[in-house]
Amino acid sequence: MSAALEFCAIEGGYEPGLPILRGASLTVAAGEIVALLGPNGAGKSTLVKAAAGLVPIWSGSVMLNGRDITRVPAHRMVREGLGFVPQTENVFANLSVLENLQLAAALVPKERRGSLDAMFALFPDLDRQRSLPAGRLSGGQRQMVAVARALVASPSVLMLDEPSAGLSPLLVGVVFERLKAVRDTGVTILLVEQNVKAALAIADRAAVLVEGRERLVGPASELADDGRLAGLYLGGGVH
Amino acid sequence: MDAWSLLSYLAFFSVFAGIFAVMALGLNLQWGFTGLFNVGVAGFVAIGAYTSALLTGAPDAERFGGFGLPVLVGWLGAMGLAGIAAFIVGVAALRLREDYLAITTFGIAVTIQLVALNATWLTGGPFGIQSIPKPLAGWLGTGLAWNLAYLAIVLAVLGLMWWGLERLVASPWGRVLRSIREDEAAAASLGKRAAAFRLQSFVMGCMVMGLGGALYAHFVGYIAPEDFLPILTFQIWAMLIVGGSGNNAGAVLGAVLVWAIWTVSGGALREMLPAAEQARGAALQVVLIGVLIAVILVVRPRGLLGERATVSRHAGVSPPPSAP
Amino acid sequence: MLQLIADGLVVGSVISLGAVGLTLTYSILRFANFGQGEFLTWGAYLAVSALSLTLAVTGGGVMTPIEPFSFGWQLPVAMVASAALTAALALVLDWALFARLRRTGSAITLVIASFGAALALRNLLQFLYGTLPEYYTREIQIAVRLVPRGALGDVMGGLRITPDQMLVLGVTAAAVIGLHVLLTRTTLGRAMRATAQNPALARVAGVDVEGVVRATWVIGAGMAAVAGVMAGLVGQIRPGLGFELLLPLFAAAILGGIGSVWGAVAGGLIVGLAESFSVPLFGAEYRLATAFLVLIAILLLRPRGLFGEKA
Repeated sequence: MSAALEFCAIEGGYEPGLPILRGASLTVAAGEIVALLGPNGAGKSTLVKAAAGLVPIWSGSVMLNGRDITRVPAHRMVREGLGFVPQTENVFANLSVLENLQLAAALVPKERRGSLDAMFALFPDLDRQRSLPAGRLSGGQRQMVAVARALVASPSVLMLDEPSAGLSPLLVGVVFERLKAVRDTGVTILLVEQNVKAALAIADRAAVLVEGRERLVGPASELADDGRLAGLYLGGGVH
Repeated sequence: MDAWSLLSYLAFFSVFAGIFAVMALGLNLQWGFTGLFNVGVAGFVAIGAYTSALLTGAPDAERFGGFGLPVLVGWLGAMGLAGIAAFIVGVAALRLREDYLAITTFGIAVTIQLVALNATWLTGGPFGIQSIPKPLAGWLGTGLAWNLAYLAIVLAVLGLMWWGLERLVASPWGRVLRSIREDEAAAASLGKRAAAFRLQSFVMGCMVMGLGGALYAHFVGYIAPEDFLPILTFQIWAMLIVGGSGNNAGAVLGAVLVWAIWTVSGGALREMLPAAEQARGAALQVVLIGVLIAVILVVRPRGLLGERATVSRHAGVSPPPSAP
Repeated sequence: MLQLIADGLVVGSVISLGAVGLTLTYSILRFANFGQGEFLTWGAYLAVSALSLTLAVTGGGVMTPIEPFSFGWQLPVAMVASAALTAALALVLDWALFARLRRTGSAITLVIASFGAALALRNLLQFLYGTLPEYYTREIQIAVRLVPRGALGDVMGGLRITPDQMLVLGVTAAAVIGLHVLLTRTTLGRAMRATAQNPALARVAGVDVEGVVRATWVIGAGMAAVAGVMAGLVGQIRPGLGFELLLPLFAAAILGGIGSVWGAVAGGLIVGLAESFSVPLFGAEYRLATAFLVLIAILLLRPRGLFGEKA
C-alpha cells in the first residue's frame, strides 16, 4: 500500500526554543485508520495541528500522497486534500448547519466539492437540523457537523483531534461507527485519541507518541494486548 | 540667546517635562503594569486641573468655587475627584472586554471636554479659569526664581510618585497585578478579585494624572478647555510607548524625549511656515508624532528602555501556547 | 415631537451606517478601531475633491440638481470614487501598520495603533484641506411637509424633512440590506462570519483569513465613506466630522452587540433619537455627551448589547 500521509522527523512548537515535537515520524497508508495515542502533553494534538499548518514546523517534512505540504499555509490544506477536525470549537457556532457545509464546499475547487445531500445521507441526524445554528446542537451532533464539514471538501486524508472528547460512551460508539463508514468510502483517517480502547477497536494500526517522538507503532490488535502500551502511559521507557 | 534666558527656558521646559512625566507614570501604572488601555488621559488631567483651580482660586461672582484653600488641599482634591471619576468609569467598564475600557475612557474625555466648554458657571466656559494661585509666588515673584522653585516642587512630586509606584509595584499587590496581566488563567482564578485589583490600579493611575493636571494649572496659572484636547492623551501615550511601558524610568525618559521632539518640531515649523500657515503646521506636527508612535509600535514595541525583568505579553510577544 | 423623531432618525441613520462598518471590523479584525471615524471624514472630503474634479471635467464647474434633490449626478459618482479611495486608504493602513501588529502584538496594541493613526489621519486632513467647512452644494432645500398642517392637528403637523434627508434614510436602508444579503447569501459573507467566530477553524476550513481581513477593510471603510458623504450632505463637512461621530458609532455598535449588523442599525437609530431628544432637555451643546450616557447605561445594564451573541 502506498503512503497517504507521511511525517518525517518533525520538530516544531509554538515558541522557538520550546520544542513540543522532537523528531516525530509516522506513515499512514492509504485507506487505513491509524490511531495516534500517548499520554497528556506528548504532542499528539500538536503533531496533527502542525500537519494542518497551525503549528510552526522547524525541521522535517510532511508528505501528502507524495507531495510535500510542509510549508503549505493552513487555508490551502483543504485544496491539497488534507482535512482536519479540531478537538474543541470545531463548528462555526453562529452559522447554521447548512451554512457550515455550504461554506466548506464553496472553498474547494468544483471537482473536490462533495454533495451536501451525500453528507446529510451519511449523517441523517443533521438533516432535520439544517437551518439551526450549529452552536445550538448537542455535543454529538456538533461532532458530526465538524466531520461533515471536513468531508464535504473530499479529503484524501482526514485527521481528527480527539473526536470522543466530551461524548458519552454510547455516542463515542456512534461517532466511531460513522468514521468506519467514512473510511469505507476511501478516506484515510488519522485519529488522535485519549480513549485508547475505543480507538484501538476501530483502528488498523496505532502509534504511541511520548515526548514528541513515536515510541511504539504496530497493528492495533497487537497493541491492545501489549503491556508496553500501559508502561508508556505511566511514563516508563520502552527499549 | 544669552545664558540667562537659556536657563530660564530650560527651567520652563523641565517643569513641563516633569509634569508630563508625572502623568506618564500614572498611565504606566495602568498600562505598563496592569494592561489597562486608558484613552481618556486628558479628561482625568482636566478634572485635576479644574478641581484644584476651583478649590484654591479667589472667589469669583461669575462662577462657582473659588474657595481660596491652600494649594496642597487643591492638589489632594484634584487627586480625589479624578479618583472618583475613575472609579465610576472603572466600575462600568472594567469587568468587560479590555477594549470597552478604551471606548469608555474616550467617552468620558469627550464629555469632560464638553462640560469644560459649556458649563460656564463652573469652568468659565471657553475662556477658562484665570489667576490660579502660584504657590510661593508671594515670596519669589514670578520670574526665574519662581520657575526654579516650581521645578523643584515638580521634581519632588515626581520623585515621590516614582518612589511610591516602585514600592507599590514591588509589593505583593504589584505582583498580583502583573500576574493578572500576564496570565489569563491567574486572572480567571482570581475572578472578581482580579477585577478589584484592576479597578484599584485604574483609580490610582487616574489620581496621579489628576495631580499632574493640578501641577500644570498652578504653573501656568490659567486653564482653558483647549489645554485638555485628545492631543494631550496622545502625547502622554507617545511618551510611554517611546520610553518603554512597564518601566517607570522609561516613562520619564519618554516624557523628556517626546516633549523635546514636540517643542523642537513645533519651533522649527513655526520658523519655516508663514503666519497664515501656522495652523496647518500644527496639524502636520501631530501627524509626525502619530507616525512616530506607529513606527515605534511596529519596530520597537517595547520602547527604548523596554520592560525590566519581566516580559510583557503586551509588548510584542506572541501569546503563550495552548496546552497540546 | 415628531420633528425630533425625524431629525433623530436622519442623524441615527448616518450613525447606523458608520456603526455597521465598525461592528464588522470589530468582530472580524478583533479590535476597537478608533480610526473608523476618520474614514467617515476622509470619505466626506475625498468626495469633495472627486466632486470638484468631476465638475471641472464635465459641467464646467456647475452642478445642475436632479429634482427634488440638491445635487446633480456628479455627487453619486464622487461618492463611489470616494468609497473606493477610502477603502484603498484602509488597505494601505492595514498593510503598513495593522497587519504587522497582528502578527506580533495583542489586540490592545492594535487599539493604540488605531488611536495614533486616527489622530495622524485627522490632522493630515486638516493639513491638506484646512479647517473651513465645505459643502457639496449650496442649494437651499425646501423641506417637505410630510404631515399636512391641520390634518392631524397642529401638534403632529409641521413635520418637515428635506428630500436629501429622506435620501439619507433610503441609502442607509439599501446599504444595510445589501450588506445583510452579502453576509448571509455569499461565500465571502459566510467566510467573514466564520472568521469572526473562529479564525483558526476558518483557516482549517479553507478560508483565506488575510483575504477576508482585506475584504472587511474594504467594506467597512467603504460604508464609512458613504456615511461621511451622507453626513456632509445634510450638514457641514469639517475635519472633526468623524471624530465627533466616533463615540456615537461605538455606542451604537456596543448597544447592538458587537458583530450584529441589525444590532448596529438599531443601535445607531436609538443613539440618534437619544441625541435628538436630549437637545430640548439638556441643550444642544451637550448633544455629544448623550452617546456617552447611552454607552455607560448599556455597559451597566446589558453589556452584551441588545442582539449580542457573546460578551
